[in-house]
Amino acid sequence: MLYRFVFLIIVTACLFAGSERADAHPHVWVTMTEELLYAPDGSVTGVRHAWTFDDMFSAFATEGIEQKTKGTFTREELAPLAKVNVESLKDYGYFTYARVDGKRHKDVFLDPVDYYLDYDPKDTVLTLHFTLPFKVPVKAKALELEVYDPEFFIDFGFAEKDPVRLVSAPTQCTATIAKPNDGNFPSSLRLDQAFQTSEANAGMGASFANKISVTCP
Amino acid sequence: MTRRVALAAGIVVLLLAAGVVTGAYAQASLFGPHAPAPTGIVGWIVAEQAVFYRALSGLIRAAKTDGSAYWGLMGISFIYGIFHAAGPGHGKAVISSYLVANEETWRRGVVLSFASALLQALTAVVIVAVAAVLIGATAKMMGDTVRVIEIVSYVLIVLLGARLLWVKGRGFLHALHEVRSASEPDHAHGGHAHHDRVHAEHAHHGHAHGHHHHHDHDDEEDSVLPWGHAHGPEPEELAGPGGWHRGLSAIVAVGLRPCSGAIIVLVFALAQGLFLAGIASTFVMGLGTAITVAAIATLAVGAKAAAKRFAKARAGYGSLVMRGVEVGAALVVMAFGGLLLTGYMASERMGMF
Repeated sequence: MLYRFVFLIIVTACLFAGSERADAHPHVWVTMTEELLYAPDGSVTGVRHAWTFDDMFSAFATEGIEQKTKGTFTREELAPLAKVNVESLKDYGYFTYARVDGKRHKDVFLDPVDYYLDYDPKDTVLTLHFTLPFKVPVKAKALELEVYDPEFFIDFGFAEKDPVRLVSAPTQCTATIAKPNDGNFPSSLRLDQAFQTSEANAGMGASFANKISVTCP
Repeated sequence: MTRRVALAAGIVVLLLAAGVVTGAYAQASLFGPHAPAPTGIVGWIVAEQAVFYRALSGLIRAAKTDGSAYWGLMGISFIYGIFHAAGPGHGKAVISSYLVANEETWRRGVVLSFASALLQALTAVVIVAVAAVLIGATAKMMGDTVRVIEIVSYVLIVLLGARLLWVKGRGFLHALHEVRSASEPDHAHGGHAHHDRVHAEHAHHGHAHGHHHHHDHDDEEDSVLPWGHAHGPEPEELAGPGGWHRGLSAIVAVGLRPCSGAIIVLVFALAQGLFLAGIASTFVMGLGTAITVAAIATLAVGAKAAAKRFAKARAGYGSLVMRGVEVGAALVVMAFGGLLLTGYMASERMGMF
């Protein structure tokens, strides 16, 4: 009787708590190369993203788009799609999160500029290029940028080769990257805190975040 | 041999249950700004199915030149479907809650799971066939179409839950009334007790009954609970023949919304000139999905049956608890629909459109 009752409680807990979101899974994969753009005074003016989608999503995204040459798309042919993409990305905050001197900042970016899509006919993949200018150029000792989809429908990952580049940065600035689950995340994040505050939850979300840390002493 | 199969099936069910539990635990931040990272078994499932999903593209390409790649494609589609159903948007929770709220058998649970999964595959095929093949629609148009279907599906889930809540809520209040009048010491005279027993007998056989509770004395409960007389149909009546009509509404509510992954795979297959292989893959995926949903649904029905045996040992209150569980399950169905509809709970996104 007892084991049956325990079993019942477990199952009921499953059903009632549900699980329709937490175990989200991606259908889109993005390989990213990032550039941080610096002004002559050493402040960061913006982030330049180059996101390459996986071949299945690229085929899906280009469906129904007119093409002059079969098997490839020109930048002009893809221009309307690029516009749709950056406009939709606004709703998700461009999946880009900034932390200045350890503080998380919201709404720090202006609308994207210089955006376009490229098609690689050999790998049949699309790459979305866009620049996110900071509303106010950031001059900080430590700047952290995270790129991830908190709902995990899109799986972001750094490119293997040269994932981050600092463009015209002061020479003493260095960039490091942390990939999901590679143990680079602060060990100070204790499990007992993890589920209590939203700030701690942000830490949980970060375990599949890709982080760029730039320090300019 | 059969014992081994049974053991394997048991382990699969346990894994799935554990996955759901982990998911539920991670659910803690539903309204938080960040969904927690998939960890534990859920994380493992996510990682595994990502591998399978990405293998699909290679296999579809290979199938263009190598006929034997079809077998691999079907195999991977099947396994992917099994894993994939652990993710959102495949109606595990809605179907399971529906089965718990209604007095359904596991057979019906299995049939409901398969029917809704196959409908889901069918919707994906129809959307891509009409949108991409016939009218050359863009991905954005397909995404918008899915969004409209999604809203209809969520509204249907809310309505399904609301109707269950109406029926089961009345059943619960009725049971509450029963327990209250039975435990009321002032009324504990012989005739009344006998009356209750007769009533219980009636309820058990599911006869329509509206003749009793016309006590001469001033019944306090009646004034507290004006619904006491409005008997909802008993669960036994609801599960009887003709219930398929009701089951259909659950199938449509859950199965209407196609899986984003299936649509992407179909469009990719179409672009490779292998639309038929894509369709086959989609249905095989649906089959895999159905198996997972059916396993979870069976678990839910089993739990309900266990609860019922437990409840039987507690006359009066036991039945009240069971009605309470049903009301809870009906609420869950409605809440799911509501959360999905209002966007608090994301189902699946179609990418960046």
